[in-house]
Amino acid sequence: MAFSDMINKFFGKDQVANSKDVAKERLRLVLVHDRANALPEDVLLALREEMIKVITKYMDIDEGALDVGLTKSDTEIALVANIPVVRIKRNVG
Amino acid sequence: MGEVLVITSGKGGVGKTTSTANIGTGLAMLGKQVVMVDTDIGLRNLDVVLGLENRIVYDIVDVVRGNCRLKQALIKDKRFENMFLLPAAQTKDKTSVTEEHMKALAEQLKAEFDYVIIDCPAGIEHGFKNAIAGADHAIVVTTPEVSAVRDADRIIGLLEASGLESPKLIINRIRTKMVQAGDMMAVDDMMEILAVDLLGIVPDDDTIVISTNRGEPAVTDEDSKAGQAYRNITRRIIGEEVPLMSLEEKQGFLDKLKTLFGSK
Amino acid sequence: MTEAIIKADEAGENTILVQKSLRSGQTVEFPGNVVILGDVNPGAEIIAGGHIVVMGALRGVVHAGALGDETATITAFQLEPTQLRIATHITRSPDGTDAPDIIHPEIAMIRNGVVVIEKYVVPK
Repeated sequence: MAFSDMINKFFGKDQVANSKDVAKERLRLVLVHDRANALPEDVLLALREEMIKVITKYMDIDEGALDVGLTKSDTEIALVANIPVVRIKRNVG
Repeated sequence: MGEVLVITSGKGGVGKTTSTANIGTGLAMLGKQVVMVDTDIGLRNLDVVLGLENRIVYDIVDVVRGNCRLKQALIKDKRFENMFLLPAAQTKDKTSVTEEHMKALAEQLKAEFDYVIIDCPAGIEHGFKNAIAGADHAIVVTTPEVSAVRDADRIIGLLEASGLESPKLIINRIRTKMVQAGDMMAVDDMMEILAVDLLGIVPDDDTIVISTNRGEPAVTDEDSKAGQAYRNITRRIIGEEVPLMSLEEKQGFLDKLKTLFGSK
Repeated sequence: MTEAIIKADEAGENTILVQKSLRSGQTVEFPGNVVILGDVNPGAEIIAGGHIVVMGALRGVVHAGALGDETATITAFQLEPTQLRIATHITRSPDGTDAPDIIHPEIAMIRNGVVVIEKYVVPK
């Protein structure tokens, strides 16, 4: 243990559990959840449309089966897109 | 034509009413014509914070019901000739005030005053929607706690959805020592998360309690740190450039020792 | 001056007895006399056509003779109202004064066109 750590321990400062950082991280997570819950349906629809535009430049996809949504767990939120590819274009660009 | 500012927070107890009283009084001290409107019907408090509770005869519900004229319900402040209060009703049905009433009221008031400051109730229901209905700009008050910042984020989203773009933030009750010790979120932490413009920071200050006891807003107290913070905020509202106040206090011996050994 | 619709005297037979304290936000409105067995807290309100008697501390807003009767009175064990009204007269407690040390029943009434408050003496 470094001397500064001992001093920190002595002054009750545990670098690992700085309560400000705990607060900030909890806040970040809770806001991701809140904002995801408050996300209007049309935002996801717009996102879907733009994704199709970009992806079809590079490959043919089954647009009807395309599925875009948010999945939530306790520690993170992920944007999950399931995009069935029909054919990859040969000459892109 | 004046400006209508709504002071809101979502969470209760973060200092909406104190902020309203101090900003209103601060603007009056700068010579502006100011009216404050308490929209917390059934739980009115602004009258007490301003020390005007014994002068109320008519209130906002009387005005919208037509029991009296608007002028009759406005209470002139005891210190500033150019400052008025339109009190909330304490005992009447709050559903009698609608968003249309509030819009009409705001139009009427801003024709005569430079600033109309609306004190919003806690929550996001009927009272909140009424309070923001006639507003031109919004000020969101928060404190450095997870719960308050979360509610501030929700409120900012709702304000933007109702067309009140770019609300300004006041961070209240900052405790410098705790921030320095890493036990309280700093201003930067909150600004990073909320991503709105900062209107001001207010230190946690005993003089606020004393001034509220007396019914005299701290902004009138030259020696109050919180009062200084609110004086800065009001000057920013009228468009002056005022640097953020330094909340650094003199470090104690132990703090210096800790700094020496590289602790946060 | 407003004409009395019901005189306090006429309302004499018509008195309501409230057997609890009134808290902030609670109101009693009655065309006759009102007697409260309890306190009236700041933020509570009594509006009476006739007299008001509070068997406790009166700290809220009271309006006696609300229909115009200037002979209406307000009596309380501890008379410290936020605001006191009789008929069309309005008075308020002075700013920044603390409650007195000695507590005794007081009565408020209109005399010579102004509201006066004095120690309550049992009428002989």
